[in-house]
Amino acid sequence: MTAATDRVNIIVSRLEAVCSDYIAYVKGWKERTGRKAVGVLPMNFPVELVQAAGALPVFVQESDEPVTDGRNLIYEYYCAYSKSITDQAAKQWLDLFDGIFAVDHCVALLGALDAMRFAMPSRLVYLAQFPASMDEQASVDEVDKRMRELRRELEKLTGAAILPEAISEAIRSRNEARQIVRRLFALRRDGAINLSARMMQAVVQSGMIMDAAEYLETMLELEAALADFPPVHDRKVKLHLSGHFCHAPRPELFDMIEQCGAMIVDDDLYTGYRFVSTDVAETGDPAIALRDWYFQRNVNVPCSTRAQKTADWEGYLLQALERSGADGVIILMAKFCEPHMLYYPELRKTFRAQGVPYLLIETEHEGLALEMLRTRLESLVELISKRRAAEASGQSGIKETSV
Amino acid sequence: MSVDLKTKPVALSNRLKSTRAGGKLVADYWDRIFTAPERGATVAWYNGAAINPLFQAIGIEWCHTEAFGARLAAMHLEGPAQEMSEEYGYNRELCSYARTTLGCAVLAKRDGQANEIELAGMEGEKVLASRLPPPNLFVNAYAGCSTGQQWDEISYRLFDKELPLFKISYPLLWGNQPDAAYIQGEEWEEASRYVSAQILKLIEFLEHVTGRKFNWDQLHESMHYIKQAAQLRVEALELCAARPTPATFFDWVASIAPINFLPGDEKLVQYFADVKAEIEDRIANDIPALPNEKYRMAFDGIMNWNKVGWLADKFAERDVAVISGRYTHTSFWHEPQLLDENDPILGMAKHYLLCPFNHNARTVGNRLLHDAERFGLDGVVFHSTRTCRSASNGQLIAAQMAQQAGLQTMIFDGDVADVSFYKDAILDTRLEAMLEAIDLHRRAGA
Repeated sequence: MTAATDRVNIIVSRLEAVCSDYIAYVKGWKERTGRKAVGVLPMNFPVELVQAAGALPVFVQESDEPVTDGRNLIYEYYCAYSKSITDQAAKQWLDLFDGIFAVDHCVALLGALDAMRFAMPSRLVYLAQFPASMDEQASVDEVDKRMRELRRELEKLTGAAILPEAISEAIRSRNEARQIVRRLFALRRDGAINLSARMMQAVVQSGMIMDAAEYLETMLELEAALADFPPVHDRKVKLHLSGHFCHAPRPELFDMIEQCGAMIVDDDLYTGYRFVSTDVAETGDPAIALRDWYFQRNVNVPCSTRAQKTADWEGYLLQALERSGADGVIILMAKFCEPHMLYYPELRKTFRAQGVPYLLIETEHEGLALEMLRTRLESLVELISKRRAAEASGQSGIKETSV
Repeated sequence: MSVDLKTKPVALSNRLKSTRAGGKLVADYWDRIFTAPERGATVAWYNGAAINPLFQAIGIEWCHTEAFGARLAAMHLEGPAQEMSEEYGYNRELCSYARTTLGCAVLAKRDGQANEIELAGMEGEKVLASRLPPPNLFVNAYAGCSTGQQWDEISYRLFDKELPLFKISYPLLWGNQPDAAYIQGEEWEEASRYVSAQILKLIEFLEHVTGRKFNWDQLHESMHYIKQAAQLRVEALELCAARPTPATFFDWVASIAPINFLPGDEKLVQYFADVKAEIEDRIANDIPALPNEKYRMAFDGIMNWNKVGWLADKFAERDVAVISGRYTHTSFWHEPQLLDENDPILGMAKHYLLCPFNHNARTVGNRLLHDAERFGLDGVVFHSTRTCRSASNGQLIAAQMAQQAGLQTMIFDGDVADVSFYKDAILDTRLEAMLEAIDLHRRAGA
């Protein structure tokens, strides 16, 4: 192992430690700084406002713990994330946050938020709902209004005025971190660095938790270390990971995919490229810039949790495959995720029409049947390998797209 | 009385006769939809709130596709639509309303220009699911549920993004501020103004798409009738506080379709006048809904459309009068005092926001306790609706609030339109246990 690899591994291990126990990180940060921490829910929260108020914005993460106490507040047929955050609230783990805020309109998420409010009576649990329909001027105006309201409530909670200069500063620092991470995605896509999917996720996910300055510093350190990181040498099957909104897929799943002879070259996961896809404009009124960011994100990487006539997730995916040269797609769908279930047939239709090999994997909070999945993945890898071989020998004939 | 709970329940409830007329009105409505293409009529597919008066005023046909899903399930004819949706790729855990109507959309697109499909194994029987005419436009007006909005977005895509689509967005009545309460507070007023403005935009959209002038006089007239009908319905609901109750929740389920999407006209008013008159007559002549009412309950959640009659009999045979329900009593123009027929838009917006699944959990719990008080209830039956997170949100919190108020509660598993999620044995066991608990409580009280 080279010194560069060692350095990268050490940095990523730090990030993985933050992700594996985000509550411990927040506790430590609060003890260290004496400042407030605000839990926010995915996927479109403008964290810059919290940062500008001098508090730590933290995207509440799914926990590995089984859902127990939360079962008294939410039914089993909710997505893993909704169940887990409700459970964490019921166990009082989230009381370390000074408030919980959300802007996203998702029926399951709002059910969980309401359960959290019931379970955390001593904490402010605030909803400033952004419309999910992106096509109308009324939605733009409403997000403007909600953004002002959010700012007001965060000022009340933190006792600090949120000044435009502070928002701009938060925007700048977060943009810089996003840009570094996007460069890492580009390097991985081009085969210039052999960064595993597990590591890539830790890079992104830790940014949902860590103090912005500390995170930026770590990203600068990581980027420097990666300059000497080994590139990809072999010709493994190249895959794109798609979907999995709101929370992180289990890293063991990524490991298993890679063990099956595939490499992940790109993704549009929430704990992946989707999270860092879009910068906030650094000129003009920062509040307007945050509003526009909300709408632009869905243009850059369309999401089926939003309703937008002009944004096509399937079209985006075809372009992403073209850009990365991925041979196929693994669609990761969190069980009970309705926006994903609704849109999946549109993706399937496109992949079939375009001859893109794909595999749908449904994930759950508890229990991941890795061995059963391994068989399906091996079949996908084999299908793609056969195609490659057929194409190399000038044959065409393998039409299957799914296994 | 010994009851074999494994067999079909014995029909014991004395259902209202007047609601049969509603069945005819609703069947006529659907026939009008089915025959729209022959008449060259423009058809809007819509979901969610009762925006039908707006369609009535622009002079087009309105097809409440969600209600069609419910109708298919109630008639046990949902199978072909759900099979089609499964074939198209929809997961069984997806909202079964959406799955059913998207299945209809696939059928409508595939077969709209051709013939209706023959029902497998039933010679000559047409598949009802394939009878929806393809739409000319979509309007989405779904409050509370994000899936509701996304599902019309998908319908739009199913029809190749070629048809006009308008969406109304609603804020969940979350209650951030201290003054927020049921139909009170600045958040409520602000949300109402926000939705009103979108309704006005919808009217512009309809004028643009149809090339017709919106008929405000027609809107005022239909809202005049709707307000009258709504007032009669609310008064009749209130009369059911009588002991024994003259009508049950299941009678009110039969009246959902008329108040939800039938035209605002004299026939609608007459229908609810007749229902109210029958209830008054029953009270005057001591005619109960159940022969031996022993327990009084609320039903929380959305309907289990496959099992309406089954459930009505199931409860009746245990002498349980299910009297109120979130879906029947806190929805469908249920606050008619908010309607100004001469300036109806704001009152309409308020009712759209008052979708029973657009409240926070505390409001749901408080409305339940309010109903328990006014109807003298012993307990609450919660329908845990497998594929409807919108109806399921807050139920477990409302159950805890009800228990703290001394009400007995039970939860049974079912679904809005997918019968495979209904668990009869669970309902039996839990109902039995709840009734025993009520008996024990009564004995202790005595």
